[in-house]
Amino acid sequence: MHAAHNTAGTTGRTPVLRVDDVHTSYGRHPVLRGASLSLAAGHLGGVVGENGSGKSTLLQLLAGRLAPDRGAIRRPADFGYCPQRTILHPAFTVQQHLRFFQVAYGLRNLDRADHLMDVLGFAGHRHRQVSTLSGGTQQKLNLTLALMHDPPLLLLDEPYQGFDWETYERFWELASDLKERGSSVLIVSHLAFDLTRFDQLWRLRGGRLLDDTRAERTAANGESR
Amino acid sequence: MTRTRASSAHYLTATRFALLEHLRNRFAMVLAVLFIPGWTSLVYRIVSERDVTFLLRASGEWVTAPGDRLSFLPAALNTVTAIIGFMMFTVTFRSSRFDQRLTMAGYPRGALIAAKLTALLVVAALICAYTTALICLHWTPKQPIALWLSLFCAAMAYGGIGVMLGAVLRGELEGMFSMIMISIVDTTLQSPFVNPAGDNDLIRYLPSYGTMQSGMSAAFLSSSPLPHLLLEALWFIGAITAAGVAFKINTRDRSGARVGPVRTRFGTTAGDRTRRA
Repeated sequence: MHAAHNTAGTTGRTPVLRVDDVHTSYGRHPVLRGASLSLAAGHLGGVVGENGSGKSTLLQLLAGRLAPDRGAIRRPADFGYCPQRTILHPAFTVQQHLRFFQVAYGLRNLDRADHLMDVLGFAGHRHRQVSTLSGGTQQKLNLTLALMHDPPLLLLDEPYQGFDWETYERFWELASDLKERGSSVLIVSHLAFDLTRFDQLWRLRGGRLLDDTRAERTAANGESR
Repeated sequence: MTRTRASSAHYLTATRFALLEHLRNRFAMVLAVLFIPGWTSLVYRIVSERDVTFLLRASGEWVTAPGDRLSFLPAALNTVTAIIGFMMFTVTFRSSRFDQRLTMAGYPRGALIAAKLTALLVVAALICAYTTALICLHWTPKQPIALWLSLFCAAMAYGGIGVMLGAVLRGELEGMFSMIMISIVDTTLQSPFVNPAGDNDLIRYLPSYGTMQSGMSAAFLSSSPLPHLLLEALWFIGAITAAGVAFKINTRDRSGARVGPVRTRFGTTAGDRTRRA
């Protein structure tokens, strides 16, 4: 089931995710008004915006949980989605979640999940029921379920919510590792720092995605001088 | 979102976890173990043993039976249907978003639905066996196995209604309230004490009508009570069909996304792994 791992530089630059002129609204309230983006293979993309700007709506559209009113989305069939609100089953243990998703993804083993648990530092909670875990640990499991099948595209909605600083740093190491393996990662966040970590950056404003990559790099270079 | 052909591994894993969900629903377990004997025993002791005559529509006969025994069956039916309906509503409602996530990850919907139905079957069979055993502790029905089957069919029908409500309603409280009210209205209108003549044709459309007719026959007569249970099968099929449609709508890919294949990794494409849409 695992795709062959890749090293940096062997990925092409074909867009893995392409969003063209997507519109959506809640009743009469328009949320997205012509949002477009293109994320290349092996790239780390970020979408930032204020609360209520439509970031989570955008990600739910990309994941297929909502229907756009207009526009086109192109993405691989195989992707990982980490929702902002943890979607776990309180009655099951961590291990039982992993087993359930192992069967869902058709994985032969849980090696990748074990590695992710080690990186995120919650391997010791394997046999605990989810309802007894802290919010941060639940979020680690939420993220692990999205990443454990090593998909070519990852859609992560506020993935480091509730993480302590050390785990936050480990998350970014993990994101770099995913890039190295050739995965494309799109992260939406309301946190407007650490933006230089992204290869591509969009700011969601007025229902449109504004490409902020160059502005952010210029600002970062100015600061470093 | 991907679609996968269901396999025995999908079904067995989902069934194991569906049963585990029920076991971890401690409130429902306590209700099943304590409330069923508590409520039925209370009714049996409080209601007079004086004979009551009522019309059994299944056979067209007027049947006379001791009041305390006669009261036992509607009380048992009321508790069994409410508890099974509540259990199925709870697991369906609480796992709704989790099931959506599983289907997004490629878990076949059919395997998840089949697992929930298997769990319903097991839970209904056990709880109805427990209830029939409780009845037999107080008095001996004419046909205990047929009585178990009657209760089981009502439990399956209410389990289906519970799954349907869990799939379509948005609030846990409204679902539980609906479940309890349906059970109360259903069993009260058919109770031989409330409605001994049972002469209004509308009662045949109530969810547990088939079970009440076959259950009364099994309890007090020697005639075959089974044909009316087909009505319960209809209720079950109707409710499960509605639940299945709601589940499919809730878990479908709404994005209209055009899916790969997109070359993403060295030597592979996003469209050539084991699961494909």
